Amino acid sequence: MNKTVTINISGIIFHIEEDAFDKLSKYLSTIKGYFSKTDGGNEIMSDIEARIAEMLQGKTSAVKQVVLMADVDTVIDTMGKPEEFGEGHDVQEEEETENFTANENVKKRLFRDPDNKAIGGICSGVAAYFDVDIVWIRLAMFLLIFFGGVSLWVYIILWIVIPEAKTTAEKLAMRGEKIDINNISKTVKEEAEQLKQRAKKYGQDIKNNSQDFRNDSRNFFDKLADFIKDFLIIFSKFFARIIGLFLLIFGVIFMLGLMSSIFGFSIAGTNTEFNDWVNIFFMERSHYTLGLLGVTLFFGIPFIMMIYGGVKLLFKIHYSNRWLNISAGLVWFIGFIIVAFVGIKTGKDFSESGKVKEPIGVTLNRDTIYLKLKKSEELYQQLNLNEEDIDEYNEDGDRIRRHKRHSDYIVARSKNKKLIVGYATLNILPSSTDNFELYVIKKARGEDKRMAVERAKVIKYNVTQKDSSICFDEIFTVGSEEKFRVQSIQVILKVPRGKVIHLDKSLDGFIYDVENVHNTYDGDMVDRRWIMNVNGLECIDCDGIEFDHEHKIPSPPAPPAPVNVHTEDAKVNIDRNGIHVNSNETNVHIHDQGIHIDTRGSKGDKKEK
Amino acid sequence: MSVNSENTKAQMRKGVLELCILSILSKGDAYPTEIIDKLKETKLVVVEGTLYPLLTRLKNTGLLAYRWEESTSGPPRKYYKLTEIGEQYLKEVQHSWFELVDIVNKTIEQQKN
Repeated sequence: MNKTVTINISGIIFHIEEDAFDKLSKYLSTIKGYFSKTDGGNEIMSDIEARIAEMLQGKTSAVKQVVLMADVDTVIDTMGKPEEFGEGHDVQEEEETENFTANENVKKRLFRDPDNKAIGGICSGVAAYFDVDIVWIRLAMFLLIFFGGVSLWVYIILWIVIPEAKTTAEKLAMRGEKIDINNISKTVKEEAEQLKQRAKKYGQDIKNNSQDFRNDSRNFFDKLADFIKDFLIIFSKFFARIIGLFLLIFGVIFMLGLMSSIFGFSIAGTNTEFNDWVNIFFMERSHYTLGLLGVTLFFGIPFIMMIYGGVKLLFKIHYSNRWLNISAGLVWFIGFIIVAFVGIKTGKDFSESGKVKEPIGVTLNRDTIYLKLKKSEELYQQLNLNEEDIDEYNEDGDRIRRHKRHSDYIVARSKNKKLIVGYATLNILPSSTDNFELYVIKKARGEDKRMAVERAKVIKYNVTQKDSSICFDEIFTVGSEEKFRVQSIQVILKVPRGKVIHLDKSLDGFIYDVENVHNTYDGDMVDRRWIMNVNGLECIDCDGIEFDHEHKIPSPPAPPAPVNVHTEDAKVNIDRNGIHVNSNETNVHIHDQGIHIDTRGSKGDKKEK
Repeated sequence: MSVNSENTKAQMRKGVLELCILSILSKGDAYPTEIIDKLKETKLVVVEGTLYPLLTRLKNTGLLAYRWEESTSGPPRKYYKLTEIGEQYLKEVQHSWFELVDIVNKTIEQQKN
C-alpha cells in the first residue's frame, strides 16, 4: 500500500505516488531554477509542464489511475536534464553560467568541479566552496607537497571522498550560498533553534497526553521514541561538524607522523650500519621490508579513514562508497596479517633461551693469580676490524671511544667480513674444590632450545693463560652469517679457599657484580688483591683506603648459642626472641616488647607489661 | 576519439535544429509534440527539453506565433505557426544552407580525390 498525492499539472489532475511526486517536483524545481534568469522562463516552464502532463496522461488510464515512480523516470528521461537542454542554442549556455554564480540561495556543498579541473577538480571545488581564488588553493597544495607530501595523499583522499558535480543542480550547489562566519553561525543557530522547537513541542505533547495518559499510553511512548530519535538526529547534526574537524586534524597529524617515520626508515635504509642490523635481526631481509609495509598499512589505513570520515562529516557529504570501505578494511587486514606474520616469525626466533657451559682448562699452581683484560682495541686490531666502529659521538658531536656497556652490541666491519661484537662479563665465586676452575657460559636465543644452544656454541670467545696470569678478552664475536639473538658471554672464575687473586685495573667494567665481604662495588675492586676465605673474597691491601662506594654495615656480634632446658614440668628457651618459660600452668615470655604472662586454669588471662 | 566526434555531432545538430523546426512549421502549424515526433525520426533531438527554450526564443524574436487549441485528450495545445518574417527568414536560411551543404560536400569530395 502506498500513499498518493493529488497534483495539478497544466490544469490536469493526477494521482501520484509520494516518492514519485518528490522526484518530479525536485526535477521541476531544478528546471525552474535553470530558466529563472532566462527571457520567457515562465513560458518555457509552462510549455514543459504541459508536455509532462500530456506524457503522464498517456501513462494513466481508467485501470491504472496512479502515476508511479517508473512513469516519472520515463518522463524525466524523455525530457532530459536541464544541462542537456543547453544543447539547443548558445545563448542558453551563457545564461547557464550566469545562473550558477547568480544563484545564492542554494545551500552550498562541496563538489569536485569538472569544468575547471587540472587533475581531479579538487582545488577548484574547494575554491568554490570557500569562495576564494583557485590560485591560492593550488599554491597551498603545491607548498604542502614539501611537508612530507601531505597534499599528495590529502588530494587522493579528497578525490575519493568528494563527488563530482555532474548535474546542474550539483553545480549550483557547488557555487551556492557563500560560506563565511555569519553563515556558519546562522546554520548553527538554526540547528539549535530546531532542537529547542522539538523540546517545546515535546513538552506540549506531554501536557496534552498526561490528561488522557491511560487511554493513550502507547501513543505517549511512541512520541517519546520519536522525540529521542529526533533529538539524536539533530544533536548529531550539531556535533558532526565538530567531530569531523577533530577527526580531520588528528588524522592529518597522525598521518604526518607516520609518513615522517617511514621517510626516516627509508633514509636509514641507505645507512650501512642500519642495514647490517636489519640483516642480523630479521630472519630474512624481506621480512623487514614486509614489516615496514605492514606497519604502514596497519596504521596508515585507520588514519586515512579518519581523514576520510572527517571530511565527510565536516562538509556533510552523504555519498558513501561501499567498495572503498570494504577495500580499506581488506587492505588494513592484510597489513595486520603482515605485521602479525613478521612479528611472530621474528619473535619466535627469540622465544627460547639456551646456554652452554664450557670449562676452560687452567693449571694454576701459584698462590697468587693475576687477572687482566685484553681490551677491545687490541682485539679489533688482531681481527683486522675497523676500529672506528667502536667509536661513537658524544653530545658535542665529537668522535669518542665508545664507553663499553653490558648488553651492548656492535656490528664491526673489516675489509671482507662483518662480525657481531658483544661485551663479556666476569664473575668470581668461591670454588668448592682446591683448584681454580674457569668456565665460559655462552647464551643465545632461538626458536627452540636446540637452536638456541647451537647459536650459543658458535660464539667465539678467548681466555689465555700465561704462567700465573689469566687474560680475558673484553669482547666476544659472532659471525655476521649468524643472526643477532641476544648472545652473551659470562666468564666464571672459581677461586679455592686461601688463594689470592689480583684484579688488574683494566678489569674495571669487566667484572660484574662480584660478591665480597666488604660489599664493595665492582669499580672499587680493581687494582687490588683479594683472598678467598670462608665468607668470600676479602681485600688484602685495602687497609687505610676508603672505598668510594663502600656500604659498611656493622656486622652484628655473633649471637650466643640458644639455651634450651627441657624438664618434665617445664621448658626454658633463651634465644634471640627473648626468654620463654613454659610450665603446665603458666607461660612467661620476656622479650623486647615487655613481659607477657599467661596463667592457664585461672579465671582469666592476666597480662602485664 | 569517439568523445570528440560525439561533441561535433552535437554541435552540428544544434546548428541545424532551428532550421529544421522552421521547415517543419512551413508545411503547416504544429504543436510541440508533433514537432518532436517529426524531429525524433531524424534523430535530431535527444531530449525533448531542448525544444521548449528554442521555441520560446523563436517566438520572442518574432519568427513564430502561436494559438491555443483545445484538446480532447489533454491540456490545451499550443499550435505554432510561421510568421511572415519567419517565412522570409526561413527562405534566406534555407538558401544559405544549400549553399553551405554544396560547399562542404565539394570540399570533402576534393580532399578525397
